[in-house]
Amino acid sequence: MNRRIVLSLVLSGLCLLAAAAGILESDAADVFLEATRPDFQKIPLGVVSIENNGGPDWLGGRLEEVLKKDVKRSLVFELMDLPSLGIKVRDVGNGYGNGSKAVFKQAAENGVSVLVWGKAGLKKGEKEDDVNMEGFVYDSGSDEIVGGKRYAGSPSVVRLMAHRFADELVFRYTGEPGIARTKIAYVSAHGAARELFVMDYDGYDARQLTADGFLNLMPRWSPDRRFLVFTAYRDRNTQDIDMIELATGKRWTLVSYGGLNITPALSPDGNFLAFASSHEGNSELYRLDTRTKAVQRLTTNPAGELSPSWSPTGRELAFVSDRGGGPQVFLMSSDGSNVRRLTFEGDYNAAPAWSPRGNWIAYVCRTPRKEYKLCVISPDGQKRMQLTTGGGIDDSPSWSPDGRHLAFSSTADGKSHIYMIDADGKDLERLTFEGSHNSAPSWSPAS
Amino acid sequence: MGTPCFKIAMALVASVALMGVSGCSKKSVQSGGDTQSSRQGSAAKSGSTEGSKSGVGNFPDTSMQSEGSGLRGLDKNPSEEHVASGFGASPAGASAGMGGSLLAKADPSDAASRQLDEMRAEQAASASAGLRDVYFGYDSWTISEDQRQALTRDADWMKTNPVAMVKVEGHCDERGTTAYNLVLGEKRAKAVRNFLVELGISANRLSVVSYGKERPSCAEHAESCYQQNRRGHLVVKSGK
Repeated sequence: MNRRIVLSLVLSGLCLLAAAAGILESDAADVFLEATRPDFQKIPLGVVSIENNGGPDWLGGRLEEVLKKDVKRSLVFELMDLPSLGIKVRDVGNGYGNGSKAVFKQAAENGVSVLVWGKAGLKKGEKEDDVNMEGFVYDSGSDEIVGGKRYAGSPSVVRLMAHRFADELVFRYTGEPGIARTKIAYVSAHGAARELFVMDYDGYDARQLTADGFLNLMPRWSPDRRFLVFTAYRDRNTQDIDMIELATGKRWTLVSYGGLNITPALSPDGNFLAFASSHEGNSELYRLDTRTKAVQRLTTNPAGELSPSWSPTGRELAFVSDRGGGPQVFLMSSDGSNVRRLTFEGDYNAAPAWSPRGNWIAYVCRTPRKEYKLCVISPDGQKRMQLTTGGGIDDSPSWSPDGRHLAFSSTADGKSHIYMIDADGKDLERLTFEGSHNSAPSWSPAS
Repeated sequence: MGTPCFKIAMALVASVALMGVSGCSKKSVQSGGDTQSSRQGSAAKSGSTEGSKSGVGNFPDTSMQSEGSGLRGLDKNPSEEHVASGFGASPAGASAGMGGSLLAKADPSDAASRQLDEMRAEQAASASAGLRDVYFGYDSWTISEDQRQALTRDADWMKTNPVAMVKVEGHCDERGTTAYNLVLGEKRAKAVRNFLVELGISANRLSVVSYGKERPSCAEHAESCYQQNRRGHLVVKSGK
């Protein structure tokens, strides 16, 4: 009996020591460590090659490069380095020759679950010479070529072909649409003005949407990706909430009260526009029914309320209120009831963004050293994690539709640029390299 | 949640709130007092005029339309899909109605050049009036003792120029979020306006607008610049 007691005491003592050692070894005082488990194991995928079959020199390589980056960013696949596994990268043709069988065998032996390859070439057209791309997918689990895709289009949409193929791969293996074809709307300086821009999710092909010459801020997507809502300064002296149709450039004014009209956000079903307006005193939250045009006031606090962010079900809103003195993140039902405070650490927590998966709310947290960083918190407030560190001012987190990435702005490199980061703080990638005051990114829904 | 940490945090928040409020209890206004005068007699805004809908315009339906993902899946015998860059809801394989054009080009509107002209006129009028800006502390919208002198001079100028209309712009330094800085900028502008009203200026001569941190007067990442940007900037409105 005594020995068992002693033994258990010793064991628990050792456990405590081990735990304490673990805590002491943790790094970076201002990064909150937390174990994040992936939803599932990443699927090992190798891109053999996209061979040039008569098209311009850059064609195959470009498709391959874009495809590989898309695959890697999806966080669904583990992009395997085939040459390092001893798999010879060669033209496997359409997959039915002996050479390709050997490659498949090697892949299976090296734990590569999915092999992708393709070819691309020129397609003679009436007006313009289109390019075409053919992609093939081999699955080692079922030991068969499970299918492929064929695309054709102008050389200007080559990146989009690769994006499309990557999304098909994600769709095949997860049932989700993939994010390679998504866009990011944002604000950029144009002279002294701020105008709206849209770019591909990987930072390419930026297009300017407005040219009003003053301030257009904080764009947000409609759920069908056709429109952006945003704050537009009319005559420099008042703000409206406007909507722009991307395909045509047509504009509508949705809200034009006096005072501030800011932080518009359409609900996931597109039926409501939540926004902040100070026309009745100080900044309060309102909900506009986009079908009936009826406006309902949601908050009646003498403090300032702003920055509504819808939960993925549309039943709740996260928002900012400074009723406690400085800005903090609160939650409430989408009719304004059941208000409760979410953030309690730090004296400045703002810009909430509710993940499409519902499990995290990203926001800007100010550290004790007065740095503005990105944090995530669970909707029950129990788990909290700081995602970014360093001296730059981070702002405006926006989730990818798969809930695995955040876009945000940061002045870490001197000027404000747009970055993306995984939801666990890894794989920081800069997206904008030109212009200045690149800010307020809004990640489109998937298509 | 009654943990000691929570109680300490709430106590800290409460004391910060008290500190913030005490300095501006007389001069600033949390709510009320911001009536129609703040709309500065602007022309009727667009949108319907029905009661609860005033200030809200007409616009297309944004309700989610049921829409496939546009992905067709892998095919053992795939047919060729035409890829065209389009925005919004165009499904996969849609023929190139848009061809190579991706978005409507953003044509510079007439508004842009008109804005510039108006801004120049305002700058000229304000410069000749010699109106002084008001500066604020970090996170703060209270008007400190040393700023009251500048505002008193501005009030005197307005009294000797009784037709002049003045706009107060609220600005912030680059720190903090874009959105909250718009609210902070408005608090600053309103604090200035309310102080001028206390000094006897008629409220309908004063309008406020917040630019947050979007129109800074300097760009350096240093306190010397931050201080300059945390300001209420007075502008003589040209024309009306």
